[in-house]
Amino acid sequence: MQPFLNDLALMSQAVLFNIYFAAASIPIGFVLAVFLALGKASPNLIINRLSRGYIYAFRGSPLFIQFFMFYSLALSLNLAVWKPLGISGFVLHPLFIGPLVLVLNTAAYTGEIFYGALRAVPRGEVEAARAYGMSRSQQFRRVTWPNLIRLAWPAYTNEVVFLFHATAIVYFALPVVGAQADLMITAKTLFERDYNAFLHFSVAALYFLAVSLVVFFLFGLVYQRLMRHMPAPPRMRFRPKWMR
Amino acid sequence: MTDDIAYWFSYLTNGKHLTWYASFQFTVLAALMGGALAVFFGLLGATLKNSRFLPLRLIGTIYSSIVRGVPDVLFFLFFPLAFEQGVEWLVASQICTPEAIAAQTAAWPPCKEANWFLGTTEYLILASVSLGLVYGAFATNVIHGALRSVPAGQLEAARAFGMSPGQVLWRIHIRQMWVYALPGLSNVWMLIVKATSLLSLLQIADIVLWADRLGAPNFLPAVGLVHEDWRWRYYLVLFVFYILVTWLSERAFEAIMRRAGKGILSEARV
Repeated sequence: MQPFLNDLALMSQAVLFNIYFAAASIPIGFVLAVFLALGKASPNLIINRLSRGYIYAFRGSPLFIQFFMFYSLALSLNLAVWKPLGISGFVLHPLFIGPLVLVLNTAAYTGEIFYGALRAVPRGEVEAARAYGMSRSQQFRRVTWPNLIRLAWPAYTNEVVFLFHATAIVYFALPVVGAQADLMITAKTLFERDYNAFLHFSVAALYFLAVSLVVFFLFGLVYQRLMRHMPAPPRMRFRPKWMR
Repeated sequence: MTDDIAYWFSYLTNGKHLTWYASFQFTVLAALMGGALAVFFGLLGATLKNSRFLPLRLIGTIYSSIVRGVPDVLFFLFFPLAFEQGVEWLVASQICTPEAIAAQTAAWPPCKEANWFLGTTEYLILASVSLGLVYGAFATNVIHGALRSVPAGQLEAARAFGMSPGQVLWRIHIRQMWVYALPGLSNVWMLIVKATSLLSLLQIADIVLWADRLGAPNFLPAVGLVHEDWRWRYYLVLFVFYILVTWLSERAFEAIMRRAGKGILSEARV
């Protein structure tokens, strides 16, 4: 029991890094995704192609490769750009470049979700808004956006949890600075010390599960708030079927 | 001009580069084996989830929800390590003498004779199995949903023909299920393809590891071409490679879906 509690205590520091990576990239990714979704639905050929290509490229390639690519790109620009500006320590720091790549990645996935929701916005409502003489921005703020976010929210919740899971590979691609280790690195270092895979990886998994459940719960509350005008869904009832 | 082409051609076909090209086989192999195993575990999980017996149903549900609730990397690293330790523990319980255990100074394995050395082949197999296990959990959900979408009339007809429950499941239910499962399975396949970039975490000298080695800056003319840090170019190649694989998989799945959807009402096709 004691080793388990030790691990819990050790990893309570480590999980903060995973939470930081997710929390830093989700808001920025969200805003970028809205623009990407609008770009993908835009009639302007150039904007349309660019957003489409961006979403396709970042959804079609592994995050692991994206990390390596952007980090090595930043490294090779170091002598020419970052050093003269005096910001090389900042730009090359995993706490900066990690969220940067995660933002680029999640913006593409979220953009695709929002694009799907945007296409599912009821046509009649938009037409009604236009018939009322609303301007383009009024249409978006009052009709399109509320519909879009309600349609997209369940899928977006999943994407946020996946992004949180994706933070597990940040430090496999980027260098670990000092004691700044996330859950996976902590679990791996502990494993290399006493070869107890079952304990250390299970505790890390527990932390991932726990945070995922918290995310599901919080986003569920937001979803309830978004859907407060709708009739409440039937309550869950405990009626087990032991044998069918 | 021709000199330039010959020069770059010889650079791109030197021994290290040829090893890099050869290492693509690991990625392709892991993806194909992982995909096949994921379908297998998915079928197994969905059957368990549909079981009439509660403990089996629980196993299926717990498998699909726990594995999906944990990052794929974690399971990908954990499973091979745990499997290796399990085998070593079994071997140790058979062959380790008390003297050998007393002589062992490291924390693992219990004695030196029980040590199991894993080479690339073993790691590749273990990696494929863990890919199959992880994405089998996703496939479980997809196939479970697809099994429910099969029109009830088809199963009733099969029962009316006097087929046993096993026959209904294998001859009708699972074969009719594919049309509904294919869109979801194509998503799972894309996830597997992207997860094959993680092979280097399991000591496999795969495309990512070789891209890192080839791109690393070289200042010794004796070793080869002197160049600065070219890693981002090699990673860019991999980036494009994966996008191409995604594009090809999309086309392939479209073709499969067209073929599988033949003779089925268009509403079943997505």
